[in-house]
Amino acid sequence: MRGSIRAIAIIALTIGVAITPFVMTDRYILRILTFVGINLIMVAGLSLLFGYAGQISLGQAAFYGLGAYTSGYLAKAGVPWLLALVGGVAVAAIGGLLIALPSLRLKGHYLAMATLGFGEIMLFFFTETESVTGGSNGLRGIPAASIGPLEFATPVAKYFLVWSVVAIVLVLAANIVRRRPGRALRAIHGSETGAQACGIDTVRVKIQVFVLSAGLGGLAGVLYAHYVGFVSPSTFTLHYSLILVTMVALGGMGSLGGAVAGTVLLTLLPYVDAIIPGLPRSTVELIQDWTNDIYGMVLILVMLFMPRGLAGWATSLVGRLGGRDRAGGSVHQGGGA
Amino acid sequence: MSMLSVKGITKRFGGVTAVDDVSFEVFEGTIHAVIGPNGAGKSTAFNVMTGFDRPDEGSVVFEGATITGMRPHRIVRLGVVRTFQNTMLFDEMTALENVLVGMHARTRVGFLGAALSLPGVRAEERLVREQAHRILRLVDMDDVHAVPAGDLPHGQRRLLEIARALATEPRIMLLDEPAAGLNNVETAQLGETLRRIRDTGVTVVIVEHDMGLVMEVSDEIVVLNEGRKIAEGPPLLIQKDPAVIEAYLGEEAPDA
Repeated sequence: MRGSIRAIAIIALTIGVAITPFVMTDRYILRILTFVGINLIMVAGLSLLFGYAGQISLGQAAFYGLGAYTSGYLAKAGVPWLLALVGGVAVAAIGGLLIALPSLRLKGHYLAMATLGFGEIMLFFFTETESVTGGSNGLRGIPAASIGPLEFATPVAKYFLVWSVVAIVLVLAANIVRRRPGRALRAIHGSETGAQACGIDTVRVKIQVFVLSAGLGGLAGVLYAHYVGFVSPSTFTLHYSLILVTMVALGGMGSLGGAVAGTVLLTLLPYVDAIIPGLPRSTVELIQDWTNDIYGMVLILVMLFMPRGLAGWATSLVGRLGGRDRAGGSVHQGGGA
Repeated sequence: MSMLSVKGITKRFGGVTAVDDVSFEVFEGTIHAVIGPNGAGKSTAFNVMTGFDRPDEGSVVFEGATITGMRPHRIVRLGVVRTFQNTMLFDEMTALENVLVGMHARTRVGFLGAALSLPGVRAEERLVREQAHRILRLVDMDDVHAVPAGDLPHGQRRLLEIARALATEPRIMLLDEPAAGLNNVETAQLGETLRRIRDTGVTVVIVEHDMGLVMEVSDEIVVLNEGRKIAEGPPLLIQKDPAVIEAYLGEEAPDA
């Protein structure tokens, strides 16, 4: 039952994503949805690292930045986009490896501090190396993505480029989590000692997933740079890293589907007026003024009252609806939610 | 020739010598017990034998290879597996998934292979799932394969950890107090399970407080007290050993 619900949801979402550009002619909405896609790639990586393996990173924005700057710089220098993309992903992954080697021996708060420090150092680096990054003025005039003669210059083309990558990334990530490496990640989350006793090289697996999440961060950064055409340090802040962590936590630890839902909801929040037309102006302004406060509240409330996030909530809902016919009372409760 | 040799291991924590120059041999196809009062150094000896602690002196040799100082996962791959006094299960994962993790060392699929669903990935997955169900049936737990380990009762958690250890295809299994918290019926079943495991060709070493179980299943017993080995031999001799009786009566009478 749960499997078929999931399959239907995935098919419906795919169709929805595919036909949106033809139904919605509003460029603003396409732009928002493209950013949802870019965030999904970031969160897919963080979900493997944090949601599955339980290793927190407060420095994902740094990998996003490494990918964006590297690819933007290379493309401006005349390197073909696909090569610039490979370069951006590689630099981010290498950055991930360099920070993973010393800091994955650390746990909990210490790993959080190490990755946070790395993020701040990289932000400083992006601002100060003006000859490469343009400093606080940013890197301007980054060409749009192109593969040979095929150029992704229009909003619709960019939308399809980003969402094609999202689809590939999510399929690959879903394949990882349901097989041997995914089980190793969850085992490390559950008990590192137990994982070692099962023959898992925990240090190696943690480094692998950290590098993978950094590489995906770099990939998202590449797409961002060539989508916007302009990159500046203000994008790659701790603030963004924290929002990513909130998206994974809201979705539910150890659930890719949950992470997707958390990302969509939190990315759309400040643009609520475009998504739900006819919302009173005062409500919209209230949400927009308090967006960051809402993110913070969501993180705290989820940790206190919904430790399994949206995914845990959905699982228990499906269980109540489909599991036992006798629980008629709770079906009505569940149905209303 | 012995399968596992513990050669003069010493482990100190600050000023305390937890294990003091302990040596013993475990022979293939036997059930070997390590007993002793609380604080005798049994668990520390287990930690040293399985790579979770490094000894200050001495070495552990498994089938001719020195395993002291190796990291735990390497030792598991050689065929030495352990369970823990406080079960170290993956509570959020189902019983079946716990056993599947146990098969990690004997399977291949990595991040890239899994992500791209390379040829062989599905076949391996189907194979390990069948094998995991078979192992769960061995401990009579296949009916709860879909239950998260954290929701299982204590007795089944103990069994699940043994099942997970079996999944690593060990040559020798070290069980740290497998009967702790079990009732009489469960303990009797455990004794049966241990014999069944030995009969499949896996050598067993147990640290255990339940003297009834130890005397019933062991072929050979090592007695530790205050970090030192004070006696060694078959159950009937150990029960009559004056040093053993004194060590136990000095603290507390054995359960049986």
